[in-house]
Amino acid sequence: MTARGDVATTIVFDGLTKQFGQTHAVHELSATVRPGVVTAFLGPNGAGKTTTLRMLLGLVTPSRGTATFDGRRYDELSHPVRQVGALLEATGFHPSRTAVNHLRTIAVAARLDPRAPGRVLETVGLADAADRKVGGFSLGMRQRLGLAAALLGDPPVLVLDEPANGLDPHGIRWLREFLCGLAQEGRTVLVSSHVLPEVEQTADDVLLLAHGQLVRQTSLSELRAEHAHGADIRTPHAQELDLLLTAAGYPSSVVGPGRLVADAPPSVVGDLAAAHGIAVHRLVESTVGLEDLFLTLTADVSP
Amino acid sequence: MTALIRAELFKLRTVQVTAWLLVATLTVVVAGGPRPRARRSSRHRARPAAGSALLAVAVASASAGEIIVMIMGILAMSQELRFGTATSTFLVTPRRGRVVGAKLAALTIAGLVFALVSMVVAVPLSVVLIRAEGGTIIWDGQVADVLVAAVLVMMLYGLLGIAIGALVRNQIAAIAGSLTWVFIIEGALAGLLPDAARWSPAGATGAALQIGTWTGNQDMLTPWWLGLLVLAGWTVLIAVVGTRSALQRDLT
Repeated sequence: MTARGDVATTIVFDGLTKQFGQTHAVHELSATVRPGVVTAFLGPNGAGKTTTLRMLLGLVTPSRGTATFDGRRYDELSHPVRQVGALLEATGFHPSRTAVNHLRTIAVAARLDPRAPGRVLETVGLADAADRKVGGFSLGMRQRLGLAAALLGDPPVLVLDEPANGLDPHGIRWLREFLCGLAQEGRTVLVSSHVLPEVEQTADDVLLLAHGQLVRQTSLSELRAEHAHGADIRTPHAQELDLLLTAAGYPSSVVGPGRLVADAPPSVVGDLAAAHGIAVHRLVESTVGLEDLFLTLTADVSP
Repeated sequence: MTALIRAELFKLRTVQVTAWLLVATLTVVVAGGPRPRARRSSRHRARPAAGSALLAVAVASASAGEIIVMIMGILAMSQELRFGTATSTFLVTPRRGRVVGAKLAALTIAGLVFALVSMVVAVPLSVVLIRAEGGTIIWDGQVADVLVAAVLVMMLYGLLGIAIGALVRNQIAAIAGSLTWVFIIEGALAGLLPDAARWSPAGATGAALQIGTWTGNQDMLTPWWLGLLVLAGWTVLIAVVGTRSALQRDLT
């Protein structure tokens, strides 16, 4: 792998839309993916992530809008394999072709160094299986082979659709460190996932997609800060404060004798209690788990 | 473009099915070689060819492997969709027309290789068999024409396979459909509408190989190269329609 200080590529989605008949698989998606960080493309299954990535890679034609790499569509790139590495699905192999020959079909067509297939197989830990037929590969091995194919042209941009699928915990950890390393080299890394913990420790930026629409584009740290507004309260007047909070528009509930939790910033809870002369014995800010947050955010959009 | 053609030839070489297809082609050559090709069209019974035509008949019979080359073409296209390698192929070459072009070129070369291997087996085998039955070997212009036509027919059938594979997405449907056409519909057509059957792909193939001269079928197109042109026309027609739909399709 070579360092890439100077070659930086930005992915831009602009009003990207795909209609299949009456269904909007992806609707007016606009977002920017910057180099040097891992960007997680999150959303539940069927949210439109794969369709979006396939439009980005020129495999599906958008109904409207564009998806570009530094202003150019995938089919306008002068040397796609050297500019963008993509992993799309675990099934894209001829079962009777060996792993190294699968990579050679790409290397020959793209005029890459004939040693490239061996090198990337080494990188993904498949060197020993190079001459085995892909038909006998496990899902995890196929996923690694797909990743090897994406790395073949040593591209500054990586687009990976659910790369952790089929990997064992050890493999997921390896992938995490690997992706961070690629981003640190200055590459643009876009990774889709429907399981948040997979990318929670890797991603810097987040694109949240639900029902084909972009719910949020933000950074993970911002998302955490913004939604850490819950309050855990100890008071002898739990019922009373519960009613006040609910009346003020903050969902809350009594969770035990003298204890309640509220979906409100602690400052609001404290002010409200003071205004009504309610004694508060303890008031702590509680953080919402990212998993819950993810589920809440992606469930909010109506189809 | 040469890199793409090399990649397509490499793909053919690195799957087992290609070797099996070559074995099947040689089986057809050996099994069908000495016997006349006439069984294909039920209307005209084969009759013993006379004199100089003997070798031409044998060579024409041996080129029946063209159907197998066609299947190789269909597979080269449809296996990409069946196994999902089309994704990686189109990622390498997003301009899909170039992929189809490279496949056509690769199958032209593969068809030539299959044809040459077939002829290398068929010609000596025919000579031996004709001699064994006391026949005379005469190398004349007709033998040369049939040899050239047999090679070109096999190359064209490879292209026809690519064209069919581009048009019909489903591999089973593409193979079953084209075999049904060749073995059932063409036969019926020859019996019911001989005027139309002359212009059909099989009719044109028969004309190119001059099978009319030894089956006694007078409905064949003449001269032999007109048959080749008609066959090439069919290939171009199906390739244009098939490629257009393959280019626009979403790969989901």
